[in-house]
Amino acid sequence: MSKNALTALAGIGVALLAGLVILWAQGYPAVPSYAALFSYSLFSKFAIVSTLNKATPLILTGLSAAVGFGSNCVNLGQPGQFLIGAMAVAAFGIVCDLPAPVMIPLAIMVALAAGALWAGIAAGLRRRFNMDEFITTLMLNFIADYFTLYLISGPMWDRATYSPMTKATNPGSWLPMWDGLSAAFVVSCVAFVVTWVIWDRSKLGYEWRVMGQNSVFSRVGGCNNEANFTRAMLLSGALAGLAGGMMVMGGMQHRFVKGMGANYAWDGVMIAIVAANGMVPTGLYALFFAAIQTGAMGMELETAVPSEFALVLQAIIVLFVVASRESTRLLINRLAANLRARAAAGAEQDISKGGGRDASGR
Amino acid sequence: MDDHFIEMRSLIKVYPPDTLALDQVDLTIKEGEIHSLIGENGAGKSTLMKVLYGMISASSGEISFRGRRVRYASPREAVAAGIGMVHQEFMLVPSYTIYENVILGAEPVGRLGALRNADARRRVQSLVDRYGLSLNIDDRVCDTSVGAQQKVEILKLLYRDVDVLIMDEPTAVLTPQETGELFRRLRDLNAAGKTIIFISHKLDEVLELSDTITVMRRGRRVATWENRGLGKADLARAMVGRDVVFSVDKPPAYCGDVVFEARDLSYVDAGGRRRLDGVSFEVRRGEIVGIAGVEGNGQLELVQLITGLGPIQSGQVKICGRDVTRVPVIERRKLMCYVPQDRKASGSAQNMSLADNAVMTHHRLNPRLESRWKALLSPARCRRFAQNLVETFGVLTPNVDTPISSLSGGNQQKVVVGREFLFSADFVLLDQPTRGVDVGSVEFIQREIIRKRDSAGDVTADVGAGEGAVAAGAGCLLISADLDELFSLADRILVMHRGQVVADLVPRDTTREEVGEYMLGVRESQSERRPRAQAASASALGPAGEGACVK
Repeated sequence: MSKNALTALAGIGVALLAGLVILWAQGYPAVPSYAALFSYSLFSKFAIVSTLNKATPLILTGLSAAVGFGSNCVNLGQPGQFLIGAMAVAAFGIVCDLPAPVMIPLAIMVALAAGALWAGIAAGLRRRFNMDEFITTLMLNFIADYFTLYLISGPMWDRATYSPMTKATNPGSWLPMWDGLSAAFVVSCVAFVVTWVIWDRSKLGYEWRVMGQNSVFSRVGGCNNEANFTRAMLLSGALAGLAGGMMVMGGMQHRFVKGMGANYAWDGVMIAIVAANGMVPTGLYALFFAAIQTGAMGMELETAVPSEFALVLQAIIVLFVVASRESTRLLINRLAANLRARAAAGAEQDISKGGGRDASGR
Repeated sequence: MDDHFIEMRSLIKVYPPDTLALDQVDLTIKEGEIHSLIGENGAGKSTLMKVLYGMISASSGEISFRGRRVRYASPREAVAAGIGMVHQEFMLVPSYTIYENVILGAEPVGRLGALRNADARRRVQSLVDRYGLSLNIDDRVCDTSVGAQQKVEILKLLYRDVDVLIMDEPTAVLTPQETGELFRRLRDLNAAGKTIIFISHKLDEVLELSDTITVMRRGRRVATWENRGLGKADLARAMVGRDVVFSVDKPPAYCGDVVFEARDLSYVDAGGRRRLDGVSFEVRRGEIVGIAGVEGNGQLELVQLITGLGPIQSGQVKICGRDVTRVPVIERRKLMCYVPQDRKASGSAQNMSLADNAVMTHHRLNPRLESRWKALLSPARCRRFAQNLVETFGVLTPNVDTPISSLSGGNQQKVVVGREFLFSADFVLLDQPTRGVDVGSVEFIQREIIRKRDSAGDVTADVGAGEGAVAAGAGCLLISADLDELFSLADRILVMHRGQVVADLVPRDTTREEVGEYMLGVRESQSERRPRAQAASASALGPAGEGACVK
């Protein structure tokens, strides 16, 4: 466990160095840029609050992808589930007007249910027609994308605005803010704990993890793989839907705006891959990537480095961490093997030579 | 003849990070001899040969072939130089036909690169006929059994004319007759001047076949002897470094009530082939019923129907009196222990920890693994459970958190067997429980099977023959490709051939040869001589079945 953490840290360190070299090669002031990156993401109260807000959707989409991939359900439908979750919450928030203590939990339920439903379609297609969820979830992304676009530019368009978006939801569904920190972060933390307990501690999570590693073994062991597949898909979808819901309930806009999905869903997929589908690593990487994305904005303000540098840095980190996970292990193992071989050869020189151990004949 | 045909000097191989697989191995192989390498699993036999074959590179040391120093970077180079190897693990393309697999890499190419199939097909077919390999060369490999796939590997090598044949445990899945035929062919090849290196841990085979025998133990060459006046005991002592008891001590069986009953099981696969044809038999408490048969004669399907992995099309399965014909896997697992054939494919999740592998199925059935909430597992209790398994079954492991893949094959199998035997079910299904396991572990596992037969409930309890054991014993169904295992463990042997139970024999009243003849269909089935109606019960309740038990 700590060995894995060390390799990951080494990978991140090397990736940051590589980013430094890239900045330097491009003629930017490398060190001040990094200083800006971290001071705007970590070294002030405002910076930390921004990072945590940014991390909220990433934690949820990351968990969604990790639960899916770790159970061997290739759910690549996070973007669609995210949008459907957000749209469902927006619709609910426009239609219903209830006091916050009632409405917030209900809206959260709506987000979870909508995301689960969208993933459930793919799960149902898999179980009924044996369609690969890898394809169906991807295709459902397009449907969700254009369906929500149709809604916000047609039936649900707020005519007071000039660009496609819904009306604002009723204030009862708005999540409170404390000094800029949205309660959406708290919701994602709760979701994290619940998911962790299910994944790492429950019988169900155990069966999912075994199914992710060897589905034949889990079947032989008496697990109901078909039902477990559906359950894992539903949880995965629900988490992605919740991420979408948080974007409407938290933040400032409180409505479904065109393009609100941004890249959160694919970042989540990336985070799950870097984290090797572990729940705790997923949470940590979500925070880390949020820090980079937040810091990049600040870096753009301070220096001439464009904020897109965050994308470059993320990509390098993914490559280095994933590569280092395997390669450092191989490298260290090979070094150890060479030492051992040399020791074995040395021992032979000392002991035998004429020793009758390897007798030929009796 | 060259006395220093192949020379290996001071070979060292360390598998990263620090598994010393070969420790200063020197070995000389003479031209034209049949040289056997014998040793337990993990002794380094296969590794040594893979180094020669260019599959893996040695950490240090040198090899010479025909007097020239060589170091093959790949098997392709080795084959070109005249060294070929049949592997223990199959290297086949599952979606290709047997024929295509055989010619793959050595395709008969005519002008403009067109395949000249006709000649090659005839050649492959003639090889199949000649060795009685009973393969349809147009079958796709993925549709064939493990046994057939092994035969394809042998066929591949027979198709390529190489000077040195390395056979890595080729006989593991063959019947005695087929083994005899293979040995005859190997001797023919040998007589034609080919050098044969034969890896095995079956002492009889090695003694029967070889000119020279090299014994390896824990990465070292222990001895090289000419095969003159050697006995099994000599080899065994050298292999394990101590005396080995060959016959498993087995008290007579005390049969109780019926714990397992299969009635008229039939199964037709997706390709329309009849894999099981009216199979009926019973297993009683306190007996071990062995199922012999060449692989691919319905054993796989039988296991799937019993465990619930495949749907029962017709017939009925009862375990402990309960009809489980239409019952899901988990319900059946409450009534039975099941050791699957392939621990990597279906008996474990290799990347997960020993503890995670140990609690499978127990996590549903054993409330003592739960934490305060029933839906949650207690990590501490799971680890304690795994620790108990490790101690009870003598699994060698640093701790229960290590990935099971880092354990040796024998220790992995002990985890699988231990996990299953910790259920207190009265019916035990054992599908090749000792395949690919070292001698020491085989002995241990076989002892545990007999203990289970004599006392199902608690494997740690002392086993005493007599009245107490009668009540507690489990009924075991043992499917094995290893006749020695069947003869030393089983109280009755059923032989399967083409989806039917063709014989019900008592080990002490039969011979390996007779069983082998039933396996190959040389002998007429016992049941076919009787009226069909009786045949169903004949295999279970025939005189042989009764005779196996002490009343």
